[in-house]
Amino acid sequence: MRIVITGAGIVSSLGNGKEDTLTHLLHEQSGIAAPEILPTAHKEHPVGEVKKTNGELKSMLGIEENAVLSRTSLLGIMAAREALAEASIEDVSQLAFINGTTVGGMDHTEQCWSSKEQHADTIVALHTAGSSTDHIAQYIGSFAYKTTISTACSSALNSVITACNMIRTGQCTQALVGGAESLSLFHFNGFRSLQILSTDVCRPFSENRQGLNLGEGAAYLVVETEESATARHAPILAYIAGYGNACDAFHQTASSENGEGAYLAMQQALQMANLAPKDIHYINAHGTGTPNNDASESVAMQRLFGTNLPPFSSTKSFTGHATSAAGSIELVISLLALQHGFVPANLNWQEPMENSLVPVLHTMRKPLSHVLCNSFGFGGNDSSLILGKEPHTLSSETIHQPIRVLADVVTGEDADYKQYMSPLQARRLSPVLRRLVVSAYRALEQAQKENVDAVITGTDLGCICYSVALLNQLTEEGEDALKPTLFMQSTHNTPSSLISIMLHNNGYNCTYSHGEASYEDALRDAQTQLQLGLIRSALVLGFEEIDETWQAQETAAGQQHQALARATVITK
Amino acid sequence: MNNELLKQQIIEALNLEDITPADIQDDAPLFGEGLGLDSIDALELFVLLEKQYGIKLQNKEEGKQVFQSVNKMAEYIEQHRTK
Repeated sequence: MRIVITGAGIVSSLGNGKEDTLTHLLHEQSGIAAPEILPTAHKEHPVGEVKKTNGELKSMLGIEENAVLSRTSLLGIMAAREALAEASIEDVSQLAFINGTTVGGMDHTEQCWSSKEQHADTIVALHTAGSSTDHIAQYIGSFAYKTTISTACSSALNSVITACNMIRTGQCTQALVGGAESLSLFHFNGFRSLQILSTDVCRPFSENRQGLNLGEGAAYLVVETEESATARHAPILAYIAGYGNACDAFHQTASSENGEGAYLAMQQALQMANLAPKDIHYINAHGTGTPNNDASESVAMQRLFGTNLPPFSSTKSFTGHATSAAGSIELVISLLALQHGFVPANLNWQEPMENSLVPVLHTMRKPLSHVLCNSFGFGGNDSSLILGKEPHTLSSETIHQPIRVLADVVTGEDADYKQYMSPLQARRLSPVLRRLVVSAYRALEQAQKENVDAVITGTDLGCICYSVALLNQLTEEGEDALKPTLFMQSTHNTPSSLISIMLHNNGYNCTYSHGEASYEDALRDAQTQLQLGLIRSALVLGFEEIDETWQAQETAAGQQHQALARATVITK
Repeated sequence: MNNELLKQQIIEALNLEDITPADIQDDAPLFGEGLGLDSIDALELFVLLEKQYGIKLQNKEEGKQVFQSVNKMAEYIEQHRTK
């Protein structure tokens, strides 16, 4: 089976659409500047902002001015329309929509938080990652299937991978994939509290780099079987050659020194594509510009490519780090590079790192046949994907063996977590997260397994306790002296990566955040991977926290979540 | 500067359940071999200094010097506190 790309759309600080993006890339014009739209007092941190207000975005999209939509959704609608138009798809009823986001409607939530009682309806309607997917779909059309992936900064690339696996197992033949993320005070100040935002322009892979510049935007691609594209005479832009997803299993917000997760993700992608290191002509690196990421990613690239390291660059020096949308923004940039035969520059670079690796400093015209795109996230959720110019065949062989549930454990409030972790390990975990750890270990015990090949989680609200605590601090005390722990533990993939870190599990790792379907979606992913023979066993987690303040919002809006700490071990 | 008060503040800031001020030695390193804290805990101590004592450390390097031990921290607070 062959999976092809037939459409792509992008909006970022480089402009609206592929044409604008391409022009700026070729002319080495960065979109990074002082914040103008984000209402922060900290103008000293440059950002890659889409220089349009929400009102302007609505007007460009023909959406009425008083429609209540998050900025994430507005950016998403814009990029999704471009991708579908290029693929000549008007009716999306046969497509799956796999969307990646973490911020979701946080921009709306934080604007309303000081008077949240008056805004309970819209906060609850817009806040979650899954709801931003639904809102994008409202303006695009009725999809055959929708889900949302939230693996922090690798969300959008994992959306592409998920869709490819669904296509390979015949669950769909076409999909709209990618991610959207707007800037928010929540994560801007969260990154500030981690002291990884630069006050300078970001300088990926430069010895004097001081951190990242945040960005925002959205990018989507239409992926489908070659058969489907050919049948509808759609032009083929590129082929999906291979991909990999691995967990660094090291730390929630730091990458390991040897870049294990990154190495494994790239290695899997190469193996799946049946390519040698020398066949890769360009690496679009994750390259955030933080001391930690660039050092770790360099080691991983050197380990895998040795002396055959191809030209590489981080285009975050153009767009900033668009977090959950970064994976698809950079995949569209990789696609442009492949289509137009050039390697984008790594701007702002000044000094070689100790390892003496030097990225591509200026636009380099060069025919490319394979491009590898890296996208890594908090929790060590690392993914890589290879685009090919020529046809690539992917295995669609499936294993027809019934799937067995070896254990299914739900832990209540009485769980004795101390049996499974030290007080030091427990210090950052909410009560339900501690219960989840207990469920995971008990499920493994029941299944008589020490470890599994994959950890996949479904959670609608994610780590809502810490999110609310940070929102409260931001609203009551302002942008300074925010607690970094609240931010580091606030992403939806915290439970999945926590368990992987505790189990030293470098296998496949993913988190679904799509309303009530979150756990089912995680289970579906595990079954898909078992069918493809990519894994032999999986730990599937279901997680919901309860926070009193959030519950009051939900009650006012006529909704209610229940706490959940569920762990299921499946095999075939 | 009262070391016991500072230890209590550290325990609260880092949510170190089951650890009492008596478990923290005055001159033992807080990081590495000591309590087993990590880089995020160091960032929490930045916040503690800013909120409780009005001290803004410039960067992580400065943090490393200040957070060598409770004694070092207390000494630094005495010299630099603005509240």
